[in-house]
Amino acid sequence: MTITSAPVTGEATKTWSGRAMPRKEDRRLVQGQGSFVDDGGMHGQGYAWFVRSPYGHARIVSIDCEPALSMEGVYTVLTGEEAKAMCEAPFFAIAPPPGSLMQEWPLAVGKVRYQGDAVALVLADSRETARDAAERVVVEYEPLPAVTDGVAAADPTAPLLYDEAGTNVVWHGVFDYGDVDWALENADHVVKLDRLHFHRFSSTPLECNGAVVDFDHGTGVVSVLSNYQMPMFAAMVIGPTIGVPINKFDFVTKDIGGAFGLKIGFFPQIAALALLSKKAGRPAKWTEFRTEHMLTAGHGNERTFVDIEVPVMADGTILGVKARAFDDAGGYLHYEPLGAVIWSQVVPGCYKLKHVRVDYTEVVSNKCPVTPNRGYSRMQHLWMIERIIDVVAHELGLDPVEVRKRNYVQPEDYPYETPNGCIYDSGDLPRSLDIALELAHVDEWRARQRELGTGSGRRIGIGIGSTLDSGTNNFGQSRIINPELPFSGNGEVAIAKLDLFGEINVNLGTTPQGQGHETTASQVAADILGVTPDDVTVSTGFNQANNAYVGFSGTYASQFAVTGLGAVMGAAQKLRHQIVKLAAFALHAEEDEIELVGGAARVRGDEERAIPFIGLANMVYTNNAGLPSELLSECDLNARYVYVPPFEVPDTVAKTGNLTLTYASQVHVCVVEVDEETGEVKILDYAAVDDCGKRINPLVVEGQVHGATGLGIAASLYESLDYDESGQLEEPSFYEYHVATSLDIPNIVCGSIESPSPFTPNGAKGMGEGGGAPLHAVCSAIQDAIGAGGPIVTDSHNHWARVYEMLHRAPGAPRNVEVISRSGGSDTDVKSL
Amino acid sequence: MLLEQVEYVRPETVGDALEILASDDGAAPLAGGQSLVNVLKNRVASVDVLVDISRLAELSSIARTADGGLSIGACVTYDALDRSPEVRASHWILGDVAGHIEDQQIRNKGTIGGNCCLSDPTNNLPPILVALGAVMELRSRSGERSVPAADFFKGYFATALEPGELLVSITVPPMPEHSGAGYASLAVGADAKALVRAAARVTLDEGGTTIAESCLVLARVAHVPVRDAEAEARLSGADATEEAVRAACAGVADGMQPIADVHGSSEYRRQMAKVMARRAVVQAIAAARGSRNGSTAGGK
Ligand SMILES: Cc1cc2nc3c(=O)[nH]c(=O)nc-3n(C[C@H](O)[C@H](O)[C@H](O)COP(=O)(O)OP(=O)(O)OC[C@H]3O[C@@H](n4cnc5c(N)ncnc54)[C@H](O)[C@@H]3O)c2cc1C
Repeated sequence: MTITSAPVTGEATKTWSGRAMPRKEDRRLVQGQGSFVDDGGMHGQGYAWFVRSPYGHARIVSIDCEPALSMEGVYTVLTGEEAKAMCEAPFFAIAPPPGSLMQEWPLAVGKVRYQGDAVALVLADSRETARDAAERVVVEYEPLPAVTDGVAAADPTAPLLYDEAGTNVVWHGVFDYGDVDWALENADHVVKLDRLHFHRFSSTPLECNGAVVDFDHGTGVVSVLSNYQMPMFAAMVIGPTIGVPINKFDFVTKDIGGAFGLKIGFFPQIAALALLSKKAGRPAKWTEFRTEHMLTAGHGNERTFVDIEVPVMADGTILGVKARAFDDAGGYLHYEPLGAVIWSQVVPGCYKLKHVRVDYTEVVSNKCPVTPNRGYSRMQHLWMIERIIDVVAHELGLDPVEVRKRNYVQPEDYPYETPNGCIYDSGDLPRSLDIALELAHVDEWRARQRELGTGSGRRIGIGIGSTLDSGTNNFGQSRIINPELPFSGNGEVAIAKLDLFGEINVNLGTTPQGQGHETTASQVAADILGVTPDDVTVSTGFNQANNAYVGFSGTYASQFAVTGLGAVMGAAQKLRHQIVKLAAFALHAEEDEIELVGGAARVRGDEERAIPFIGLANMVYTNNAGLPSELLSECDLNARYVYVPPFEVPDTVAKTGNLTLTYASQVHVCVVEVDEETGEVKILDYAAVDDCGKRINPLVVEGQVHGATGLGIAASLYESLDYDESGQLEEPSFYEYHVATSLDIPNIVCGSIESPSPFTPNGAKGMGEGGGAPLHAVCSAIQDAIGAGGPIVTDSHNHWARVYEMLHRAPGAPRNVEVISRSGGSDTDVKSL
Repeated sequence: MLLEQVEYVRPETVGDALEILASDDGAAPLAGGQSLVNVLKNRVASVDVLVDISRLAELSSIARTADGGLSIGACVTYDALDRSPEVRASHWILGDVAGHIEDQQIRNKGTIGGNCCLSDPTNNLPPILVALGAVMELRSRSGERSVPAADFFKGYFATALEPGELLVSITVPPMPEHSGAGYASLAVGADAKALVRAAARVTLDEGGTTIAESCLVLARVAHVPVRDAEAEARLSGADATEEAVRAACAGVADGMQPIADVHGSSEYRRQMAKVMARRAVVQAIAAARGSRNGSTAGGK
């Protein structure tokens, strides 16, 4: 992969913010000096290994730990029943009944619900011994019939995962906006698709999960050194289960080798390790291995859409969509069913669809529990919308570019309110598309496509993926799932401190995993405090002892540029205010005369009258006799700020409200060559245009674009997690699951425009997740290569055999699509729709 | 690495290695370790003693045989094959196939002997060695024997090796005049396991217009590399053109039952075997006509 950048639009700035600076953290990361969870440890620790189920669904008949316990070096073994007995309650349920009846404990109790489900946990004096001992824990299982299809799982006759719930359906709700029945009756055409399937995959972090957990019997403190990405969520979920109050947790993260949302899923492991440590009286260290990760750490949501109906006017105006969705959460509900509402942040996608009804069912099945996965839940829905746009163009003989441009939310429409009350803040989709088409040389490829013609054995396809990355959640949307939940709004914390010798220190509530928070936070703080980013030390990772957290703290869901940097701005401004106050006192000047330059405060226009930060720190920390007490009480040089975005609680009955603060957009264009003989798809050209408002660091933004693009291409062509009927994962290792490497990922040409968000402190928008644009664009390109009248691309994953099948499907075979046109067209005025 | 307890020895000579292998049922040769260590790590097999043969000089050389062929030590690495001027001079394709196995780290360690002795149907080298008519030179405490590559691979992870026997070298006969070899694979991704592959060697007549003789080997349609004798018969005497080759390869793999998995059905693999076979033969023809004794476009 080589990386080419289009010239960055927007002029060079005089500030550090906005500059394409290399990342500060890269020096240590590329020199092998990063510090990851497996690099850490605690005195006297043992090594933990999970005993995991080989079955997808089975009753646990018995567990015999004796053979393991009798081995030299084995400290203890914890079973599911034992762990449950040490708990005060199952994990907190997000869902109301029946979902809340699907209880989970730190280890499986009574039965296992997916291959890899943890039934016991061994602690020993070495990793090797722990693993050997885990093999000697004898578990007798009685296999049960499994259900591994999301639609089938909803059927009342399907095998039940939770007898107590009486159903596999976790949650069901109808999201109904506008009047889709009316639109279907009045449209010129109705395009019907029987099924679209968004597959399971994972973003495959380089670093698997890990934790070192100590239950201190003396203090009752549970120390958790881990790479968990949303620590206080874990504390809130685990605490009531294992009986530990929040202030007796000590969560710490360091460098994290990628998380993508997946690292929200392993709180049960942390809870189990805490209980293991409690039982053994020593810390427990667990480092997940790759196959364990692939089997158990969490997969992205798999969603099947059925009975899709799209009302379209003769001119290509799409009025809306009606569909039923089945989302398959796997064996346990680790963050689900939040996905059942999160997609509704982007109900109409990039388009002015007015009439939308999605009948949404979430189920459990005998598969690995899903976790948020980059593009979480919106990507699945946006993929469906993009497929619809293409299919409409394809079936009605319209140009997919024109259909998009006609239906896009237009630049003048912002702020644009969606049918469910979300406010799209800003953007310019038509321009993004034009840039992307140009960067991908689409005119030349269209010409080449015509030239190639039939008989060459090769086909060129050009595809578009327009998508949104909605960021900064309003957690109030969880109440659409369960009105009883005590959540709404959002927030993040930063602490800016002038240290004893005048050093500037920033602590974050976030858990960066490669997003460059140390760099962008120091850029922002440097501008406010009159120093360079090198003068600002941003501590690595999360540390509960810093007190830089609220309940939402962490790194997830495309929000750092808004919430994290909003907090850094607030904290730095607070600190600046204190510095100015102290300097004005020291320099006998007015506060508005003070400027901060080069690590000192000075009087504007009189540079001799200056005091360096070390002098101000000295006044406060080590030399404060005789200073006015009001001054000291106002200026402790330790500024904590909580950024809270402006949100209301959504209407849980109508299922409406502003669910996210910002909407970054991505328009990707992909040109593929398809080999008719094999179905192989090769990407010939790829352009990604990102609009995330003001970019604090364009280089970091591009890095995120590359990462998200790579993952999306990988998912669309190479990576899929499939189960057989008994619940065995077919791709449990990299032998079967081909993780795309630089050899598979094409040159990505990046372009950007900046439509500042009017709602954020800095005009920025979260953009890290990326909305799955490559999945949309690659499917669209394959569809284009297949051509008019051919089969519809109905799956988000298109490996060679599937593409081959579509290319060679017998003429007259079912196409999964139907167009019903009203004769003579309608005379309904499109404008009034 | 989380292996079970295992003993490790590094004998000084091939003779010592054979002694240890003969005296201990639980002993296994360790060459590059690129498969064996993974197998042990995943605990799908267990070994009592690892007999490290990777540093035995006798097994690590590449020599020209009197008839112009190659004698390749079992512990020659993929990287050494890739970079060997000797190999490139007479059997370009062998270097090329070896140079495309997975990544550089694996190529630095993995050996031609290990690649064959594992008999993993996805391994790259067995089909090309069969196509080139290679002979496996085996040695045990009781003596030596030679087994044609075509008879060496017995099944999924099974070979003609007897307990206590080592593969010491592989003899590759010289390429006849007017001959060339080709190699085509279909894989999920750039450095992924192959779904299907084909290796071919053809000899053209003097004029270079018809195929005099050929050897066509398919891999991953069965547990071992298989020659398609019927296709070879159709190829012999056929025009050395793409159309003729296409016609000759149309029946390739018919009647075979390749494995089906998430990457493709049995039927898909059968179809792909035809395509790969044709591509390999067409490459081999081009190589036979060109100056090179093997293709450049082989890859995986
Ligand atoms: C992630 C990964 C992916 C890979 N993908 C591919 C691929 O797609 N294609 C491919 O061709 N290779 C691939 N390889 C490499 C390949 O699997 C191994 O290199 C090869 O199979 C074994 O060679 P080795 O020298 O490492 O042998 P080892 O792993 O040391 O040994 C393999 C087996 O052969 C036996 N053995 C070794 N040498 C001898 C000998 N001289 N006489 C008798 N028995 C012997 C051993 O006892 C053992 O049973 C991959 C490797 C890895 C790690």
